Amino acid sequence: MATVLPDIPAAESESAVKAPSLKREYPGALVVVEGIDGSGKSTQLYLLKRWLEIGGYRIHFTEWNSSPLVKSATRRGKQRRLLTPTTFSLLHAADFADRCERQILPLLHGGYLVLADRYIYTAFARDAARGCSPRWVRNLYSFAPIPDITFYFRAPLDVAVMRIVAGRPKLKYYEAGMDLGISLDRAESFRIFQERILANYDQMIETDNFVLMDGTVRVNKLQKLMRQILGEKIDLAQFAPKKK
Amino acid sequence: MKRPGKNGSSSAQPNGRPSKRGRKNGAPEAPSRFYGTTLPGVKLEELSGALFVIEGTDGSGRSTQISLLTEWLESQGFAVQTMGLRRSFLVGEDIDALLAENSVTRTTLSLMYSTDFFDQLERRILPALRSGLIVLADRYIFTLIARSAVRGIGRDYLHGIYEMALRPDLTFWLNLRPEIAFDREFKKSQTISYWESGRDMSLSNDLFQSFIRYQSLIKKEFEYLSKRHGFIEVDGEGSVPEVNRVLRKRIASHLGIRSTHYQPSHALSHLWR
Repeated sequence: MATVLPDIPAAESESAVKAPSLKREYPGALVVVEGIDGSGKSTQLYLLKRWLEIGGYRIHFTEWNSSPLVKSATRRGKQRRLLTPTTFSLLHAADFADRCERQILPLLHGGYLVLADRYIYTAFARDAARGCSPRWVRNLYSFAPIPDITFYFRAPLDVAVMRIVAGRPKLKYYEAGMDLGISLDRAESFRIFQERILANYDQMIETDNFVLMDGTVRVNKLQKLMRQILGEKIDLAQFAPKKK
Repeated sequence: MKRPGKNGSSSAQPNGRPSKRGRKNGAPEAPSRFYGTTLPGVKLEELSGALFVIEGTDGSGRSTQISLLTEWLESQGFAVQTMGLRRSFLVGEDIDALLAENSVTRTTLSLMYSTDFFDQLERRILPALRSGLIVLADRYIFTLIARSAVRGIGRDYLHGIYEMALRPDLTFWLNLRPEIAFDREFKKSQTISYWESGRDMSLSNDLFQSFIRYQSLIKKEFEYLSKRHGFIEVDGEGSVPEVNRVLRKRIASHLGIRSTHYQPSHALSHLWR
């Protein structure tokens, strides 16, 4: 544990570190999917979104790293490989804050069911794998609302890596964790990086109330389970189309 | 590397006026060069340079003092590197664009400034300190913390982000009344900037009132930060030579420079008033 600045009362400084408790100050609900690349999470969330869309529910879908706001900086940093673990983490947090304050929070207050493909746990798992202090990263994202459900899609490393490597001509530098200098071989580096991320995710199953989903189960069967869990945990009627 | 030994002494008063807010026994002991977690991959023993921070609102004379200090230190044989807000290669220009746009929200802006800060720290300042340079910072984490705090972002949150910042050897706070800052800024640019008057905070439709209220809020944050971090408070209303003499004296004693005599070169003489 690092030294805390001298005059922060102990209780206060602890609260900055702990995961904040779930306070629903809004009528909306937040459902997120997490998991390493190739775990099947995006496919499943897409199918869930389609189901809800077709049913006419009040939903909004949001993705990790999609804000135009900091895109130029991220691009510049990645192209020229200027990003350190710290600035990589901060830039993504700035990007997330923009999405959070301008989309996610207003939509939650406006009574939407918000579906997020990746959320703060992606940063927790990935930035820690890059060597950032987990405590520091958690504090960085402490402004984020806690999800109502976090579906954690877990597939064995080999399965996930095979899915990604097969579908992509070339792994990108940061995506493969090349900045960590683990291996000069991109595929090898990617594998080791994903392995670390997977281990970090696994540690959060308990601490962050993940709903564990087996990414090796057939797509339609898994989707059925996902819809069932959603229905149990969230009162979908409140997002249903109003009868005229 | 020397530790800031004299941090706890009373406020410097260039014009001999009694201090309004002299710190009593002020600065807490500084055991580490970082506030909390060390930045990944940094070996502290390698940092042989020194970091001096000048804080203060617009109109407090920071950049003038930094120009003069740079010349003085160079004349004494010290190599100087400077840093400041929005000067990173990574996001400096992006922040400029965000500020011009006005649609940015407070947390995003705060985190963009953090990115800007750490990019400079990791890729420019730490290498400079490893090479034994003197770093003069035109503002530091304290301005960033104060600006975000007055906009309602938690102080613990902010200190948490900047716990990986390097602790300065000395931090000078050029303190002055907001009214004086207003006069100086207006004289300089014939207008008052949107952000320096905190207009995003809807404090007042009157630009003067907005500026004064905003700068008073910032000043209050600085009073708190000054106690917490052991700033050397300097009367920013003093003349340029008076303020400069105080800064030179403290820096000289920190670096073991014997003579604090300094007369600006012809190129900088216009600042000496």
